[in-house]
Amino acid sequence: MVAGALQMTVETRCFAGSILFFQQPGFHPTRVLFAEPEHFSTLESVLLVAAILASAALFFWRFGPILRNILRSKKDANFSLFPLGRRVWDFFWEVLCQGKVIRQRPLPGLAHAFVFWGFLAFALVSVNHFATGFGLGFLSPERLLGGLYFLFAAVWALLVAVSIAGLFVRRFFVRPIWLGKKVSYESGFIAFLIFLLMATYLAAYFVAPGSLQIKALWWTHTLALLIFLPLIPHTKHLHLVLSPLTVFLKRDGFSKIPPLAGDEDFGLVAGKDVTQLISLQTYSCVECGRCTEHCPAATTGKVLNPKEIILGLRTYLNEFGPASDTPLLTEQRIASPDNPPAKYLSMEAAFECTTCGSCEYQCPVGIQHVPIIVGLRRGATNTGAWEDDYGTKLFLALEKNGNALGLSATERDKFIQKQAFPIFDGTQEYCLWLGCMGGYDPKGREIIADFARVMQHLGTSFGVLKKEKCTGDPARRLGNDLVFQTLAEAGLKTFETAKVQKIVAICPHCVRTIATDWREFGIAPEIEHHSEFMARHKDRLPKQQGESIVYHDPCYLGRYQEIYDEPRAVVAQAGTLVEAPRSHERSFCCGAGGGLAFLGEEKGERVSHVRARELADTGAQVVGTACPFCNTMFRDALTAVSDTPPQLLDIAQLTARALPASQPQSSESQPPVSGGVQ
Amino acid sequence: MKIVVAIKQVPERDAPIHIASDGKWIDEGDLNYTINEPDAYALEEALQLKEKNGTGEVIVVCAGPERVQSTLREALAKGADRAIHIEADDLGSRDTLGVAQVLADAVKSESPDLILTGLQSDDLGLGQTGVVLAELLGIPSATIIMHVEPTASGLKVNRELEDGWFQHVELPLPALLTIQSGGNKLRYATLMGIKKAKTKELKTVPAAAASGAPAITLERVYLPEKQKKTEMLTGSPAEIAAKIVEKLKFEVRVL
Repeated sequence: MVAGALQMTVETRCFAGSILFFQQPGFHPTRVLFAEPEHFSTLESVLLVAAILASAALFFWRFGPILRNILRSKKDANFSLFPLGRRVWDFFWEVLCQGKVIRQRPLPGLAHAFVFWGFLAFALVSVNHFATGFGLGFLSPERLLGGLYFLFAAVWALLVAVSIAGLFVRRFFVRPIWLGKKVSYESGFIAFLIFLLMATYLAAYFVAPGSLQIKALWWTHTLALLIFLPLIPHTKHLHLVLSPLTVFLKRDGFSKIPPLAGDEDFGLVAGKDVTQLISLQTYSCVECGRCTEHCPAATTGKVLNPKEIILGLRTYLNEFGPASDTPLLTEQRIASPDNPPAKYLSMEAAFECTTCGSCEYQCPVGIQHVPIIVGLRRGATNTGAWEDDYGTKLFLALEKNGNALGLSATERDKFIQKQAFPIFDGTQEYCLWLGCMGGYDPKGREIIADFARVMQHLGTSFGVLKKEKCTGDPARRLGNDLVFQTLAEAGLKTFETAKVQKIVAICPHCVRTIATDWREFGIAPEIEHHSEFMARHKDRLPKQQGESIVYHDPCYLGRYQEIYDEPRAVVAQAGTLVEAPRSHERSFCCGAGGGLAFLGEEKGERVSHVRARELADTGAQVVGTACPFCNTMFRDALTAVSDTPPQLLDIAQLTARALPASQPQSSESQPPVSGGVQ
Repeated sequence: MKIVVAIKQVPERDAPIHIASDGKWIDEGDLNYTINEPDAYALEEALQLKEKNGTGEVIVVCAGPERVQSTLREALAKGADRAIHIEADDLGSRDTLGVAQVLADAVKSESPDLILTGLQSDDLGLGQTGVVLAELLGIPSATIIMHVEPTASGLKVNRELEDGWFQHVELPLPALLTIQSGGNKLRYATLMGIKKAKTKELKTVPAAAASGAPAITLERVYLPEKQKKTEMLTGSPAEIAAKIVEKLKFEVRVL
């Protein structure tokens, strides 16, 4: 039996090994064995123990303070491990499958995945490696299982070696700017160590067991591992240890802003406000720069750099600790030689964020940037430290007028009267939510009016609220919890009083805020975006031919709510759908989110111009939007970047333009648009 | 510096105003109330003076029914140190002197260095309460103030005159100033402010009964009557233009 098994092993090895060693001259098939040292002297064993202890001690000497910082940070308010299913899935997909790593940066992502999977394959080999040093090796190259496993690891070793060499070339020769201007020599050294680990492993196939060479290889491999270990905690390689946990523990929901805990919590003011999850996330950062690469602020010349925000927080925790009262934002600290004003963790940077969520979406290690940046804003706004003329004007407008545009509520009443919108009285199926844009902004009103026509065409009954206040979205994202809470509570009460069951809105910001952010104060009625509504009824909407329409994914519809197909279905009904170079979850912000639509002029290039140029360059005849804020941003931007700008229409307008005119007299004078109603 | 800010609670600007059935006042049923706008600027000026000084106390005082406490709380949230609520349900039936009298009664015992108030109210717009209050307290006053600067001996202030002109006045303390809107930038209320306001003192004092009949009584309250006149001009463009110029010169008198 045993002999037979051995025979089989040799054959398998020969077969598999032939791929590896085909070109070796004088190669003898039976010698394709993974070699191991046969004997270790007492001195060697003592040295090995000492080396292991030294390495472990160095590791914990450096890792201890980090762990302490994480554990001593404030507990996360209402954090729950449950439901576990989502966490297990994220762990499986993002960590084990490296789904995000590969999908968003295929080539380096795949290289990274090979290194990661290789490490997993090597776990057993490494344990066996050290066990061998004490004569306790449990994987035998002579046995079928052991031999096969060594071969399996050898395949991975090759993949890891190639991958790490590729990543080395990328980091030190290709040098994408997202990795940072400063070259990390430590990363180079670690890449070298990994390469050395693989090389020494593979080399063991070419030397005789018990030879001096194998001893040398064995010790080199051992030392490489033991030098690698203490390098982990203070470099980006800490993500090896932390990021699986970070991915597993990240807060449920995209860009979820946690509730404030108690009377003393105003957001992220100082170190004492940094929670355990935030601490864990900042220490997990692998500095890959994907967040920065996709950031609309960082790529258009603003100070804000999401990666530097995370690294700035990490530096803060290392310097001041998680119990500190020292303000997080640098301009609020007393500047001293020890405390130079750093630009990244600054008020200016925090308030340049459009909360588009690209950073958070892209992050492969589970960092949730938006709650952190909004947390910093909360700390500044809730305490009154943020002084900005536009911001103050917006907050006062929301306080006084209940809408972000600062107009009198009677303006909305007049618009409703002019449009003859029915007032919601509980008999209609839908409550049509106007929002600030739909109720007050001229273009927003056109969109609402057209969407109302679509609803009428479909025979869906709807009514609008007699009084409506802003959902509090801009206040929420700018960190003003007082205004947000007041508006959210008022809104919930309005819906309750009016006995609203179903809401439909044209603004993704309203939908997200009502459905998700209001939940802190109560459950709002079911709400959907008009793209969902229209997509459901698309077969009854007019099919139009001809025009090419490039669709722009709004951040708050796409990344925030994962609604990608519905608006496309509506666009496809209204013309030929064209995709922008950056679309779906990689869509580039219009620059309006996070309350920025109401703040002053941007630094650097306007975000809206960058996106408008991209959309115009597709050559499409129409730019299709699904958010009144995107629409308003592109209105000026398109004419600024193009001499022959494409038409700009919301999906509701794209649909409504092919509807038969509502007034009978005008339908006579105006024949249906070509390719019109079917 | 101890600063008293006298504020008034008024109906919100775009509130739908309905006349009460007796025709003597407005229907207060579904009205929302807020701080009188020039008073908000008076409060802002007081807070900035305190901040510039580094020390001092800002006391807000407001006469009216219980609902005015929400406006006082808001003022505390914006940074005032304490508040005095003068309980008076019959404010509408008192004239300016009567209102100034209850304010003077409450303020006198505080003996402040400076009293600030808005130059007029958004609802009645009489513009007298501040000046009368100063007279009752026997202190100097200046009106329509855009800018305040403390000096060694008192204050240097800018009064807004017409046509972009300003008058610079110096006056000793204690004094009373009525503040014009727009001189400063208002601050927004913060969560921290609201939480702190809960621990701040809000004292309630009763208003003395009105001494005798008011000098002014309200006869009738009514909404401004809209008067819109449209006149069509005819003729050649040149003739129409000539007619417009004539009307602008002699009828509208803007040319």
